[in-house]
Amino acid sequence: MNTGKFSRITAVALGLALATTMAAAQVNSGAQTITLNAKLAESLTLGLSANAVSFTLAAGSATNAGSTSITATTKWTLLPGRTAVGVYAYFSSTTALTDGAGNNIPSSAFFIADNTNPSTALTGTTPWGTGTGLQMENIAITGTNRSSSQTDAMTFNIDLSSLPQLPAATYTGTLNIQAQAIT
Amino acid sequence: MSLRLQIGRVGAVLVLAFAALASRSEAQVLNSGASTITLQAVLNDSLTVSLSSSAVNFTLTPGSASNPGSLGITATTAWALKPSVGSVKVYAFFANSATALTDGAGHNIPSADFQISNNAGPFTALTSTVLFGGANAGMLLSTTRILGNNRSGSHQDLMNFNINLTTIPSLPAATYTGTLTIRAQAI
Repeated sequence: MNTGKFSRITAVALGLALATTMAAAQVNSGAQTITLNAKLAESLTLGLSANAVSFTLAAGSATNAGSTSITATTKWTLLPGRTAVGVYAYFSSTTALTDGAGNNIPSSAFFIADNTNPSTALTGTTPWGTGTGLQMENIAITGTNRSSSQTDAMTFNIDLSSLPQLPAATYTGTLNIQAQAIT
Repeated sequence: MSLRLQIGRVGAVLVLAFAALASRSEAQVLNSGASTITLQAVLNDSLTVSLSSSAVNFTLTPGSASNPGSLGITATTAWALKPSVGSVKVYAFFANSATALTDGAGHNIPSADFQISNNAGPFTALTSTVLFGGANAGMLLSTTRILGNNRSGSHQDLMNFNINLTTIPSLPAATYTGTLTIRAQAI
């Protein structure tokens, strides 16, 4: 009995000694820190699949389709406070196309069908003008799309039904596509 | 003066001279008792980590898998260890796996998207639970086995950094900051 007690006490003592030795053998270095700084800049870009469209006009016709469709791709990475991204098509004035000799095609006769939406005249208000544009997109920004993109496939038409006396000429103009993020 | 008397005087002088010389010779050697000095030299365990630089910048591209850090950093671990030490391990870790970097407004880059390539190894996310830092927020950079010939030695870990944003494509524009800690342990 005494021998058994002695053995147990010896075993415990040996265990404690071993634990103490192991603890003493552990050495930690000081902690060295590296400061990390990662910047994700705010950006909003818009690219076009093409930048020219031709029309072969038929006098007085409501349907004068553009030679090609154009896709506008809007990409953004926005600050947390942004609430929406708008994509717009607009002319700088109500004179959409002109022959330079006083004969014009107004923006009200220029139509865009965006994606699956109906063809619409550019008579709306945009951040860059009144009565000369069309808002194609109004995208609410949430936590899931602060960095995202949107495509707008635009098909074009010139409706000459309200301009039956438009003279034969070459009419040129510039359509602007622009996006805006708002807070 | 007789010859015998003269010889006697010379002899007496010589005897006295030898006696004096012998006496001086004994007086020059005088040893004290030996006093001892106990010497003790302690080479304490030491383990240090130093960094070649302490800041890294990233210019992020939304949703991109590749956003490398502006520079690599070398961690030099130096040690002088007791014979009982078996290895030295070096760790990189964050305090919290969910918020390795943050903009302070609730938008975070987790440690799972922070990667280190150590000594030209593959980029590895900091998703392991190591001795230090938060759970699932670290990685073991290196293990050096301690043998008889390197109980006092050093090791270098050249770290290159990357942030992978493929899992968080909607991360908002902002400046994200964080602190990566490098630490070693000898066991």
